[in-house]
Amino acid sequence: MTKKFKLAPVFFVGPHLILFIVFILLPTIYGIYASFTKWNLIGDPVWVGLDNYKTILFDSGSTFHKQFTNGLENTFIFVLLSVPLLIVIPLMIAVALEHKGVKGKSFIQSVIYIPGLISISAAALIWALIFNKQLGVTGNVFHSETVWAANQPYAWIIIIVLTIWGGVGGNMIIYRASLSGVAKDLYESAEMDGAGAVRRFFSITLPSIRFPLIYTFVMTTAGAFNVFGQPLMMTKGGPQESTTVLMMSIRKLAFGTGESIAGMASAMAVLLGLVILVISALQYYVMNRNAN
Amino acid sequence: MKKKLSFVIMLVFVAATVLSGCGSSKKTITFWTPLTGDDGAYMDQLVKDYNATNPDIKVKHIVTSDMYTKLSTVLNSGKGIPDLAIIHADRVPGYVKQGLLEPMTNVMNAQPELKQDNYLPQAWSVGNIDNMQYTIPLDIHSVVMYYNKDLLKKYNVENFLDDNVVTFDEMLSLKGKLAQGDYVVNDALLTWIVFSQVQNFGGDIEDNGKPAVDTPVMKQVFESLKQINDAGLMTPTGEDGYLMFQSGNVLFSTDGTWSSTAHAKVEGLNFGVTNVYSPTPDKFTNRASSHLFTMFNKEDRTDEKEQGIAAFLEFIRKNSIKWAEAGQIVASKDVNSSPDYQKYMQSFFTKDDTEIQSLHIYTYEYYPYISEALDTYAGDIVRGKISIDEGLKTIQKTVEDKIAQSEQGEEAGK
Repeated sequence: MTKKFKLAPVFFVGPHLILFIVFILLPTIYGIYASFTKWNLIGDPVWVGLDNYKTILFDSGSTFHKQFTNGLENTFIFVLLSVPLLIVIPLMIAVALEHKGVKGKSFIQSVIYIPGLISISAAALIWALIFNKQLGVTGNVFHSETVWAANQPYAWIIIIVLTIWGGVGGNMIIYRASLSGVAKDLYESAEMDGAGAVRRFFSITLPSIRFPLIYTFVMTTAGAFNVFGQPLMMTKGGPQESTTVLMMSIRKLAFGTGESIAGMASAMAVLLGLVILVISALQYYVMNRNAN
Repeated sequence: MKKKLSFVIMLVFVAATVLSGCGSSKKTITFWTPLTGDDGAYMDQLVKDYNATNPDIKVKHIVTSDMYTKLSTVLNSGKGIPDLAIIHADRVPGYVKQGLLEPMTNVMNAQPELKQDNYLPQAWSVGNIDNMQYTIPLDIHSVVMYYNKDLLKKYNVENFLDDNVVTFDEMLSLKGKLAQGDYVVNDALLTWIVFSQVQNFGGDIEDNGKPAVDTPVMKQVFESLKQINDAGLMTPTGEDGYLMFQSGNVLFSTDGTWSSTAHAKVEGLNFGVTNVYSPTPDKFTNRASSHLFTMFNKEDRTDEKEQGIAAFLEFIRKNSIKWAEAGQIVASKDVNSSPDYQKYMQSFFTKDDTEIQSLHIYTYEYYPYISEALDTYAGDIVRGKISIDEGLKTIQKTVEDKIAQSEQGEEAGK
């Protein structure tokens, strides 16, 4: 034992490590364990091996199989609809704000960022009122006769609108920060060489902010898979469960009314986690390889 | 080495501070309720009034959002279990089966007036399982039917109310007679309406302990409700029927006893309350639930505390007129037969025995599963988005699958 125990680093890492272990690592491990059990949250979990997974994945007659496939399908729809918009729109705004002619940049930036600070429930109430047929803007100003939350594709539209409204700001800030780090002389020399705005964007801007792009793409996707609040508040999963995302099914099983079915819910959560893991890894791999 | 030790001690200290839950004091009764709405404030007031009487042990009311989830957590760990809690009637059978509730025997011995005769019969009996009393009731809250007096007059159908029961046929007789934008009934609390109709049509939701959703009676119920929808008498899909009643476009609104306070705040809304509609005037049912005081098993609940709880419940029994302000049907006969109580709209439901009997509380162990499944599918069935047969089959299967899961968990847990 010649190596001296150094205290300073522990102080820096320690608090985070404790919080990480207590609130993330242990619950994750316990959640994975619970997925192999039958458990009502109150008693002791009872080991059932792979039963839950078999039911969810292969027993096509089972309610849980249906909930899982329907929930996962709707979650995928949400991801496919929301993620591209949550990448492209903030990027466009960020690039637009870089232009010399734009005045009041930080003001615009704040206005776009603020919705992200509002809780989803509060935001959903506002948007539900805006789209309310009797009280809202859509009904009174635009004379829309549709009950948006109860009909497709309108139900998805209001969910996506709320998501974009709340989610654009975060990614935009990241893009703004990284764009400001791109060397100006690159643009100048490109301009001298006769590159147009579009060419400059694809040949200079995009490659220069490669890592922020990968980061936001992966994180936004993972976040979108965990969607819960927007459909719960806006459509309650309807019409006919077409916006019931997987997190809603999971929550209902574990924390719904009546005795909890936490084992099955955990198994669904683990499967969702695996899907996110695989897709994130894939995204990272593909984007990083292309970038190199 | 010394440094290391002090670091470890500090770490333990920090962890202890972070992790220690709220310890329960010996001098207070911790009292959890799921009353997150306006009614939480009324309960706060009741507790405050009680504490102002300077009891030996004061009560600390904690409104707990997601209470049932939090209860699961504390019951599982055995730490932080509240001394007293309010739960809903449909939770009792499940908790008792799992052996989680402590009988009220000591509490009832301490205050002899906490007895069956002093409460509405069904509110008392939902807490009685195998001759053991596990709960003391606070109230009954029910789905009821509000009517818009002005609209009844406008369409000249005030006679609907003659026998205190509006029938399906009476409602259907208005087909084609309403001005555009007016409707006969909304779909508020539709699941509770289904539960009420099941009784009206002479059925039940269980058959020897097995769930009974895919039944001829249930089919009849949905056919009748669908008839109203198909005749264009029900507020349109997805629209806020509750709001439409308040804005004076709907004759009947089927929502909770507690909504009377909100309706009363609407200027120009001239309304009254009656029973939920029924196929025949001879039988009417208002599906109800009940808020019940109960004690979860807890080792360190002292006898003194149980005495304190008894004193608090006796105070509530005598003084819960405040609770009537929240729109609920107070379970204590002392209160609900008092002259003061009669000024509240919901006194309609305690005016005679037939009315009291109409408040039906389901006590089937798996009622919550059926209720949740109905919440998901009932609207779509009534609106004709899925067929009745398919819908009922799906609900039946959903409930059975969930029961199979929870039962297996229990058996193995024993």
